[in-house]
Amino acid sequence: MIEYEAVIGLETHIQLNTQTKIFCSCKADSWNDAPNTNICPVCCGLPGVLPVLNKAAVEKGVLLATAMHSEIRPLSFFDRKNYFYPDLPKGYQISQFDMSLAKGGYLDLPVPASASPDGKAYVRRVTISKLHLEEDAGKTKNAGGQRYVDFNRCGVPLVEMVTGPDLRTADEAAQYLTRLRQLLRWLGISEADMERGNLRCDANVSIRRKGETILNPKTEIKNVNSIENVREAIEHEIERQIREVEAGNRIFAWTLEWDEDAGVLRKMRSKETEADYRYFREPDLLPIRMDDTWKTAILAGFPELPLERRARFVSAYGLPEYDAEILTSERRLSDYFETAVKTYGGDPKRVSNWLMNDILRMLNDRGLTADQLKLGPAWLAELLKLIDAGTINISTGKSLLQKVEESGLSPAALVEKEGLAKVSDDAAIRAVAQEVLAENPREVEAFKGGKDTLMGWFVGQVMRKMRGKADPNIARQVLEELLK
Amino acid sequence: MELCDLSAHELALYLRQRRISAVEILESCLKRIESVDGRPGTLDSSPLTAEDEQKVHAFITLTPERARAQAEAVDRKIAAGEDPGPLAGVPFTVKDIFCVEGTPSTAASRILANFRAPYTATPVARMEAAGAIMLGKVNLDEFTYGSSNESSAFQPSPRNPWKLDRVPGGSSGGSTASVAAGEAPLSLGTDTAGSIRQPAAFCGVVGMKPTYGRVSRYGLIAFASSLDCPGPVARNVTDAALMMNAIAGADPHDSTAANVPVPDYLAALEQGVKGLRIGLSPDYFRITYPNLQNGTFETQPLPAEIETAVRRAADLLAAMGAEIVEGVPMPNTRFGIPAYFVISRVEAASNLHRFDGVKYGYRTPQPTNDLREMYRRSRGEGFGPQPKLRILMGMYVSAAQYSEQYYNRALRVRTLIRQDFDRAFDPSGPYRLNALLTPTTPTTAFKMAALYGDSVLMQYADQLTVPANHAGVPGVSLPGGLDSEGLPIGIQLLGPDYSEDVLLRIGRAYEEATETDPWRRVRPQALA
Repeated sequence: MIEYEAVIGLETHIQLNTQTKIFCSCKADSWNDAPNTNICPVCCGLPGVLPVLNKAAVEKGVLLATAMHSEIRPLSFFDRKNYFYPDLPKGYQISQFDMSLAKGGYLDLPVPASASPDGKAYVRRVTISKLHLEEDAGKTKNAGGQRYVDFNRCGVPLVEMVTGPDLRTADEAAQYLTRLRQLLRWLGISEADMERGNLRCDANVSIRRKGETILNPKTEIKNVNSIENVREAIEHEIERQIREVEAGNRIFAWTLEWDEDAGVLRKMRSKETEADYRYFREPDLLPIRMDDTWKTAILAGFPELPLERRARFVSAYGLPEYDAEILTSERRLSDYFETAVKTYGGDPKRVSNWLMNDILRMLNDRGLTADQLKLGPAWLAELLKLIDAGTINISTGKSLLQKVEESGLSPAALVEKEGLAKVSDDAAIRAVAQEVLAENPREVEAFKGGKDTLMGWFVGQVMRKMRGKADPNIARQVLEELLK
Repeated sequence: MELCDLSAHELALYLRQRRISAVEILESCLKRIESVDGRPGTLDSSPLTAEDEQKVHAFITLTPERARAQAEAVDRKIAAGEDPGPLAGVPFTVKDIFCVEGTPSTAASRILANFRAPYTATPVARMEAAGAIMLGKVNLDEFTYGSSNESSAFQPSPRNPWKLDRVPGGSSGGSTASVAAGEAPLSLGTDTAGSIRQPAAFCGVVGMKPTYGRVSRYGLIAFASSLDCPGPVARNVTDAALMMNAIAGADPHDSTAANVPVPDYLAALEQGVKGLRIGLSPDYFRITYPNLQNGTFETQPLPAEIETAVRRAADLLAAMGAEIVEGVPMPNTRFGIPAYFVISRVEAASNLHRFDGVKYGYRTPQPTNDLREMYRRSRGEGFGPQPKLRILMGMYVSAAQYSEQYYNRALRVRTLIRQDFDRAFDPSGPYRLNALLTPTTPTTAFKMAALYGDSVLMQYADQLTVPANHAGVPGVSLPGGLDSEGLPIGIQLLGPDYSEDVLLRIGRAYEEATETDPWRRVRPQALA
């Protein structure tokens, strides 16, 4: 049997989360806004208008390019991409062609065992063949036999980023998008929500015999609006191409559309010839001069990237890969962890456990991000120290989490205020223990008859009566003494 | 002499001295328009009558109510002792290629005939902020594509006030005709290959193409974005300087508008030409054009009257202390038109894409369910022949398989033309010129219908003006006498980037030297 491999390249469009559009001062984000409410003469392409570049879009583009190890061009140009469509009010899109903001680049993509064909984790280097700035187009829709145009999205800044044909499986493609989404949010340059179209992806797919290096005709899959759907669509397409080739048929350069509900690909159009967009330099804009001063200012405070931080959490804190992965899934969470570890000074794994079990649940339940918690990293550290010092026991500690978050008081203040400190006074515990034994003569008898396991039950009863404040070790000593 | 025949600076002065009111000035201009302009240009206009042939037809849209409201506001300010602005009460016309809020902004094309702009172009807004009063929108070649004004979809097209069977030139023919006929002392035009300077020469007025980026293009319906320059049309140099003071300068709406300080153009106007180096180039005393039969290029000297006018200007300036430098080579001048053919059409075709029947302007009334068909019909019916020719050629030379051989080559030629100027103006080079003195046009105003339809030959009317657009340098055309037929001759001054003040200063010196010339007192036929 012939073995095939897939050759996949991804073309992504990333909406940058600037306040205003790329060439005018209209609000960029129109989510849930009525059609044609965030528009002006410039983004609607009225006669006589001119674009003025929003520097914030360039700066966000530079952050992404830097993260992708791309070379930033000191001088880059905008070009016009000419074509007719009702959602493109000028009849051309202002984009970048041969001298774009950045050149080259790559992402070393960790593919986990769970997404690996042979069950072994590996790293795939995905090269970047194109990274440029452009303006988004509007939207059209059909309703009641009429065609409507909404220009709200016109002029929203985009980065178009295209990978080389470097991905080999649908899982790799999904991993790439997951890592890209993580990175975009980490850098704070895009909301990167595929469902909302902040991150859009077209996939180019072809197959070849394993071992070959040629590139066969590819199909382009469009309109996929989630990472899982991209994975599924590519998987379907690889299977289809193998079936066709096995049946002795050719693969044509079609454009395919993913029908999410039916879980099938549909042919949109044949694409045998490339459209001629008649690119030429945009005469209405000056070149972008990325001098060292500007670049240094943009990159001041450039963060440690998620994959680097993940590796460091493993090496510097001795965290398991699993913990490091989750703790670096989101930048504010990883910052929280790191601050908590530093303030605490104790075992990082202990901090990780509390974060992964309790803090993450709290974030999910309350729909918050780590930086929005009243229970900041310093207070988590304080709480852990209270436990370590024996001032409170673990169960008090756990219930304190909610109380701190709700009251906005520090753990120490709450312990003080509510008298939550452990009771380690022998006399108080002894009195309660005597009570417990007096109230449960049958259990006392059973214990004395050799049922040792009841000791845990007696301790529990004491704890309950003391609303968890008793030091369980002392309670056990006292009970053992009384039952001797 | 009526108020409307006074210069802008005189009107502004008399108004401040409260000798006249803004409303009086306005009424004088409206009266002049009433008597000389005839019917305005309209779509699908009736055939030309004998009476039409005796009128100027500068306007497409007259906005007297708007103007009156502004004039009254100026008069109120003056009565209240407030500063009404340096151009207070001075009427001006606007080439109908600029958007002005609430007015039809047609580009002289059917495709925009129903378009009312929702915003105002920066240079117009600056004129109005300086107190000037807009009288209305004047005619032009459709989308500025032409050198005779005849291609307007709004007919009758303007006629040359000096001789009414002649074209006013173009594309700012409505601007120069309105100023020459005393309908307004100032007009705002645009110059992409000579569209201010050539009609200024034909109509015997002053027309300045500023440095590219000196005046904002915001609100100017684009022809060739890398060449378009808004600029003033006036009856004398001082008025042009006054207008430059109002319109020049950086603009947050136009990133190509240069952030270079604007001098006071009036300040140095009277300083004379002593010590200035002014060049003459043999390459501006001949034109080279293609022989359409055999494809070769032919060279012809300019008419003697035109060369004589320029040489006399040089003599006068020399007598006033300028140093005349002969024989300055500008070898790439002859390639200006072919390079322009390519560059302007690529940009024009792209700039015209937005006129698609979807958002504004003309849409075919024929119902269709097919989007492509709607585009084809709307554009086919809405555009006249000149935009169509430019779209065809622009699409051709920018196609992937041809763009290297045409578009990119034309851009290299453009660089060579720029180098001609750099060498001539280089302060440590062999010529060290402050300005180059040339004829503006190879001929004086030609007869209506004489060239129209021959779009190649029509283009060659711009041969001496287009190099400045390629190079981005400023130029001004000045009235330089009349030819044997009584038609104005234009002389041109070209200078290095941002030397408008120097060009105006030389122009003013020339005006003074020729103040007593008999031709200065000849009135155009339309005013006779």
